[in-house]
Amino acid sequence: MAKITLSNIGHSYNKDKDQSTWALKPLDMVWESGKTYALLGPSGCGKTTILNTISGLVTPYQGRLLFDDQDVTDVPTAQRNIAQVFQFPTIYRSMSVFENLSFPLVCRGWKADKIKARVHEIAEILEITDKLGRSAVKLGADEKQLISLGRGLVRDDVSALLMDEPLTVIDPQSKFELRKKIKAINKINNLTVIYVTHDQYEAMTFADELLVMSFGEVIQRGTPEQLFEKPNSKYVGNFIGSPAMNFLPVQVQSNEILFGSTKLKTNNASGDVKGKSIEVGIRPEYITLAKGAGENVIEAELLGHDDLGSVRVLKCVSGGSPVSVKIARSEGLPADKKLFLKLPSEKSWLYQDGRLI
Amino acid sequence: MYKVLKATFITVWSLFVLFPIMWAITTSFKPESAVVNGATFIPFLEFQPSLIGWKAILPGPDSITNLMTPTLNSLIVTAGATAISLIFGSLAAYGLSRFTYGWKNYSNADIIFFFVSQRIMPPVVLAIPFFLLLKQLKLLDTHLGLILVLTSGLMPIVVWLMVDFFNALPREIDEMAMLEGCNPIQAFFRTILPLSKPGLTVAGMFCVIFGWNDVFFALTLTATKVLTLPVAVIALNGTVTPYWILAASTVFSIIPLVGLAFVIERFLSRGSLGGAVR
Repeated sequence: MAKITLSNIGHSYNKDKDQSTWALKPLDMVWESGKTYALLGPSGCGKTTILNTISGLVTPYQGRLLFDDQDVTDVPTAQRNIAQVFQFPTIYRSMSVFENLSFPLVCRGWKADKIKARVHEIAEILEITDKLGRSAVKLGADEKQLISLGRGLVRDDVSALLMDEPLTVIDPQSKFELRKKIKAINKINNLTVIYVTHDQYEAMTFADELLVMSFGEVIQRGTPEQLFEKPNSKYVGNFIGSPAMNFLPVQVQSNEILFGSTKLKTNNASGDVKGKSIEVGIRPEYITLAKGAGENVIEAELLGHDDLGSVRVLKCVSGGSPVSVKIARSEGLPADKKLFLKLPSEKSWLYQDGRLI
Repeated sequence: MYKVLKATFITVWSLFVLFPIMWAITTSFKPESAVVNGATFIPFLEFQPSLIGWKAILPGPDSITNLMTPTLNSLIVTAGATAISLIFGSLAAYGLSRFTYGWKNYSNADIIFFFVSQRIMPPVVLAIPFFLLLKQLKLLDTHLGLILVLTSGLMPIVVWLMVDFFNALPREIDEMAMLEGCNPIQAFFRTILPLSKPGLTVAGMFCVIFGWNDVFFALTLTATKVLTLPVAVIALNGTVTPYWILAASTVFSIIPLVGLAFVIERFLSRGSLGGAVR
């Protein structure tokens, strides 16, 4: 386990001078020892590049990488002692399950009896003891992935465990089980884990901290709660949460925020905002149905709804802008098409040019 | 209708292809009377099989020529050239598949083409240079000399086949091995090579076939000490040797390749050639 520091690390695969095209734009970042981080973002946003930079599969175009206080930028992958799980299960097909799990230890020159004990210990946790003698090729995708994971865990001294969308190829039922096992193992070993995913639920259930990325940049870093409650940009508001955050275009006139003709109050409201493209953002979870007009209440027309089991998402439109409202199933559907929506001011945030003010 | 046509075609073609071999095999078992008095085809009916041809080429009291030493020479030369080509060829191919080399505008693709271009050149162009080179190195008429020359022709085949094979193996395997503490050479020998048996088998088969059948370099670069089997068989033809002895020696010289083909065919059909890596 180690504290991992990225110091001004940036990478361009085609060595372009123009930084705007880089796969990873220069960034400074510290990953604390023993914590679990999730890297979240759409495909091609630089998540895997960060992982490969840490593990040494990619040598960054610029910047330094430190494990604790030691500069490892030029240390070869084999000596960095990183465990990495790839998106697709990577197993050594010519070996049995046992040989697969013991491979990292054999590479380290461990003694046979010590290897056996350690492999059985890990197999026990992963619940694959009965499959140790089998050929690794004949296993299902989820079991193969479990072995990839196991190979990362048999070493008791890894600097960090990096997981690159490890559950993508796993079918939904096994996903739940596997996720549970990964969590259990993280707890036991107290590893520094960096977990790449594009699934926000996965990220939120796993991680102590989330990093949302876009086009090679980290847009926001924080706990799942921070990202949900106070997204620092429209991008994060849209990316985290389902359905996405509502954004209502507003005008600021003489220290008042006006949505159409309705006056709105926001948590970060300062009326002295100037300029254009100002919006009020609010989570669909926090909008409530009001009986009639009042403070921070807007009028809307109900267009339809999605049934999500215990909750319903009302699809509304107000002043030409779409608004989603999440209500409990027990509340029932409103009888009238015309709704009054209460936007609590402590949950409303003012954004300009897509950024939180 | 299609099936009938297909079966007919295959039958006719097989007969066409197999006939010379059948003819050689039957002739090798014919006594003198069955050869000189017009064509005979069916053993026991048209002629009484005899071992006179085989006795002449195999060691024993009736032996008229020694094919055992040439066989041994051929084995040494073929095995040596094949082994060197496979070891260095697959290492080169692995490098070309996984790493990027370059100098100015030249890169991996050009290096691969450079290798393959060795096969484009007709061997006769190389005969005199090789002769002079081996003479300088005092390797004329030695096993090592012939092995080195054959290797120069076999290595391109191995590189060319194995680059494609390694490209088809996912990079994640060697990346994973490196993450788990192997250097690139260890990653190659411990994880990639065990997966490459099918590719190495095919490449090795080509090497053995080309190496075993080589007449040209064996004829020009060796004299008496390293006489290989094909050269020895041709030499028999040069002296006035009866047809049944010629036929027996020809059949004898292809037996190792046919045997190898059967062994390898069983290995390949066991299904490890499939591409399912994940």
